[in-house]
Amino acid sequence: MKKNNSIPFVALDKQWQQEKSQLIKIIEKSISRGMWVGGRDVKEFENNIKKTINTKYVVALNSGTDALTLGLKLLNVKRDSEVITVPNSFIASTGAIVHVGAKPIFVDVLPDQSMDYRQIEKKISPLTKAIMPVHLTGSINNMDKIVKISKKYKIPIIEDSAQAIGSKFNNKYAGTFGEIGCFSAHPLKNLNAIGDSGFLVTNNKYIYQKAKLFSNHGMTDRNHTKFFGYNSRMDTLQASILNFRLKNLKKLILQRRHNAELYMKLLDRKNVFFDNERFNQYNTYHLFVIQVKKRDQLKKYLEKNGVNTKIHYPVPIHLQEASIFLNYKKGDFPETEKQSKTILSLPIHQFLKKSDIFKICNLINSFFKKGIN
Amino acid sequence: MNVRYSYLGDQFKNCPELWVKLKKFVSTGDFTLGKPLVEFEKKFAKLIGTKFALGVNSGTDALKLSLKAIGVGHGDEVITAANTFVATVGAIKELGAEPIFVDCDDTFCMNVSLIKKKISKKTKAIVPVHFTGYMTNMPELMKLSKKYRLPIIEDACQSILGNINNKNAGTWGKTGAFSLHPLKNINVWSDGGVITTNDKKIYEKLKLLRNHGLLNRDEVVISGYNSRLDTFQAVIGNWLLPKAKEITRQRIVNAKLYDEAFSKIPQITIPPRPNNYKIVYHLYIVFAKDRDNLLKYCLKKGIEAKVHYPIPMYLQKSLKYKNFKKKDFPVSYLHSKSIITFPCDQHLNKRQLNYVIKTVKKFYEKK
Repeated sequence: MKKNNSIPFVALDKQWQQEKSQLIKIIEKSISRGMWVGGRDVKEFENNIKKTINTKYVVALNSGTDALTLGLKLLNVKRDSEVITVPNSFIASTGAIVHVGAKPIFVDVLPDQSMDYRQIEKKISPLTKAIMPVHLTGSINNMDKIVKISKKYKIPIIEDSAQAIGSKFNNKYAGTFGEIGCFSAHPLKNLNAIGDSGFLVTNNKYIYQKAKLFSNHGMTDRNHTKFFGYNSRMDTLQASILNFRLKNLKKLILQRRHNAELYMKLLDRKNVFFDNERFNQYNTYHLFVIQVKKRDQLKKYLEKNGVNTKIHYPVPIHLQEASIFLNYKKGDFPETEKQSKTILSLPIHQFLKKSDIFKICNLINSFFKKGIN
Repeated sequence: MNVRYSYLGDQFKNCPELWVKLKKFVSTGDFTLGKPLVEFEKKFAKLIGTKFALGVNSGTDALKLSLKAIGVGHGDEVITAANTFVATVGAIKELGAEPIFVDCDDTFCMNVSLIKKKISKKTKAIVPVHFTGYMTNMPELMKLSKKYRLPIIEDACQSILGNINNKNAGTWGKTGAFSLHPLKNINVWSDGGVITTNDKKIYEKLKLLRNHGLLNRDEVVISGYNSRLDTFQAVIGNWLLPKAKEITRQRIVNAKLYDEAFSKIPQITIPPRPNNYKIVYHLYIVFAKDRDNLLKYCLKKGIEAKVHYPIPMYLQKSLKYKNFKKKDFPVSYLHSKSIITFPCDQHLNKRQLNYVIKTVKKFYEKK
């Protein structure tokens, strides 16, 4: 039920109201060119991303999932290869690994939800073909440690940066540490289109050239196919919308960071765990996640009081029905499993008012103080 | 005079009512698997005549997901046409299966009588391609499918509303794969595709496959893909679908006009037009003597004629490992040397069509 003073988890309607007058013109202009696949807007988008996150090459694609799938293919991950990743991500990261025929090898996560890099080395085997850290919630992994392992064993990194555009580690952008970085511009992401879309970035020219062909059936031109690829192209229309929204990305991230700061100031740390940003991190807060006891009761209590929250994600990947063939069991990744019962995502979008955050924090603090159930 | 090939500029020049719908839609924020998509799928199923239709990201994905849903995987063989667009073969290869080619006949579709000797123990499916708006001989193919218990996935990307004996493309096989790419007869403003089926089980499986295998937000039951038709595009589809029959009718009228005139030119051969076939002319193709020079002449005269395709699929570099020879699929090969495609869409006027006819006539008279 929607109450008048309820606080929604996302606010796409407000985003549209804010941008409407400009966006309609942009959409009309893009459509009137009669060029709906590829073309100028897509090229412009790729160039814009290059500048935004400081990378040499960008290929616009149909989704973040496709970026991961293509990325793995480009790293020559195939049947019987192994890829090391985390079980607390959205399903797409593991899905991409399974779809190229490889086996996902999970490592548990740290209290801040990032990959436990200390566990990577013992999972490496002769079959390991890639390491896939996931910058979940916009919080970046400890890339120093992961890059070190990658160099030592000569195993490439493919970064799942779907939730982390603009995030930085030691002032270097998410997606630019590994061989390939994969991004999503799904409607719910910080940089969002109005349909599925995504892109991959790389500094490797050979990978870039191959990725370009891969995304368009392997065709070098209308009549020649060099190898079998995919159909994974960013819609021209979506590119034109993203070009417009990119101009506002920095500001939007700052607003989200302000919101996070306020949360961290107001929430009572006795009962609420959240991770502070480290000195070498710059996080973009696609999500703001707290970890609490009595999570389900708190969620209900907030819902009753008009605050919409979410859980990302309540069932870890290794315990999903789709993962049965991997033969994992409960207890294999204790930290991930523990977090799946304690994590709660609070509204963090750029249209939140200060008073909204005050209200949410008051509710949470008093929930624990009074022992409300 | 100028006879352009792409009519996209004309098609959406004047559609204020569509813009109203789009603006209204965008403000709802219902972008992924939203309400207009559900509506579109219902309308599409009704138009084609199947129980279910499912919007996916592209025609390529419609094929890939269909093959995946019937269990095609690594090491399997899939029989298809040697002259198709690369996407058909790409979808098969992506699942780790091997394409086994069959030559076509003068309808540009696979010659069904050649299939039998290509069937092996590894064969898991047959993918007939209803190429250019034609239909594969489905009555015969269905007999074969029953006899050998091989499921059929129809590549109907170019043949929406085409039929044989009034039974539509996409309603014969286990599933039908359609494309909504901007250059298709029924098109949206981006890549897009639809799968049709009468099989509820397959439908439920496809629904999972297109959305990460997600049963709901939190439960993943199979490993799936991300392949959804954007709801924004479904709004455009909903606007266009009521016009589908009229678009098809106009293309057929244009093709008839061409047929009549070209049949009087001895250097042009018109492909067979069986009475019980409804051909929808996604591409209007004839066989022409001295094709390369005719093509050049047309282009010089402002007619954007094309060749679909000058290098047949089986001779592409990506299939080099198969060591095919030109003569392995003689009909496909012969076609690649003599086919020419003329603009035939619903936005052409009579003057443009007559200009094309006149120009072709003139080319041969000159000689």
